[in-house]
Amino acid sequence: MSMSTPSKSLKVIGDDTWKNKTEKVNAELFTLTYGAIVSQLCADYDRDFQKVNNQLYSMGYNIGVRLIEDFLARTALPRCENMVKTSEMISKCAFKIFLNMSPQVANWSPEKDTFSLILDENPLSDFVELPMDAMKQLWYSNVLSGVLKGSLEMVQLDCDVWFVSDVLKGDPQTELRIKLNKVLKDEIPIGED
Amino acid sequence: MFLLVNFASLENTKCTFDEISRTKISLLMAIYSFWIFDKHCNCIFDREWTLLSNSSSGTINSKQNEETAKLLYGMIYSLRSVTQKLSKEGTNNEVRSISIGKFRIHTYCTASGLWFVLLSDYKQASYSHVLQYIHSHIYVKYVTRNLLSPYDFAENKNETRGQGFRKINNRNFISTLESFLAPMILQ
Repeated sequence: MSMSTPSKSLKVIGDDTWKNKTEKVNAELFTLTYGAIVSQLCADYDRDFQKVNNQLYSMGYNIGVRLIEDFLARTALPRCENMVKTSEMISKCAFKIFLNMSPQVANWSPEKDTFSLILDENPLSDFVELPMDAMKQLWYSNVLSGVLKGSLEMVQLDCDVWFVSDVLKGDPQTELRIKLNKVLKDEIPIGED
Repeated sequence: MFLLVNFASLENTKCTFDEISRTKISLLMAIYSFWIFDKHCNCIFDREWTLLSNSSSGTINSKQNEETAKLLYGMIYSLRSVTQKLSKEGTNNEVRSISIGKFRIHTYCTASGLWFVLLSDYKQASYSHVLQYIHSHIYVKYVTRNLLSPYDFAENKNETRGQGFRKINNRNFISTLESFLAPMILQ
């Protein structure tokens, strides 16, 4: 990949990878599979939705740490030098390639270390209506926060990722917040320091 | 008539990417060894061919290569820090190959900290497409997507910073890699 990729070409990379290097599957099958997982978890944890959230998060984390390798293999993109670049890469490349959507990036913190992804369309929650008892606590798509957490950690970005609102809960939009804690240092062989 | 024959023969040979690269490459060059390092500075895979006439000769994940692996890692590591210091801020400046007296070292580094390293003779300037192919079609397919294989080869703190010993031992990975690289060993 050439030195600094302007944002426009990130979109081109994302679109191109989606078109040419990605096998497609039926989105409904995906949505329903995810729905089956969530409902099974709710049953397993006796509708303790806090536990369901945590379990979805850790499942997402385990997906993310592997998915990042797949993403990098498809795109051969280099590391991002700042969070602005990271946000563009997530919305224009990663979400495009794996879910065929490009969430908007919004609500930057003044230090440019925290931003939100606004998910206008969320394939995970198509057809879903939360029952009353789940409305308050369940973050239905919480697997996504785990995926982002895991994959960002693998490229040395220690982040916190959480949902702040979800249309399923009656909020006007679905908003996912990402906060950079710190950039992890690359390891050096023992004796080199 | 001639054209027709040509077309027919082209149709018959369904060329996939790796077949094309294999046939091109086998005419040109020789490779000596192949290495993978992870982000914990550990060598997680090594393959050395000893007889150029025999693609199955040599060693896989050998204890004897530990020292060589460390030296190779250190060399690439140092050159990477030099190039990063020399590059303008915010630009990405990777080491792609290092040429030394008797052979050439080709490197392909991913953002997740994996290094794919290939030692070859001088006949080919760039192996980056080969290394990228190994990453995307062999490593990701047989290591990353294999949920029973660890995604991180250091299990605890004592195995980080170059002190690890775990290796990729997946049969599928090794056999696919062997058959992909075999044609590049000089016949």
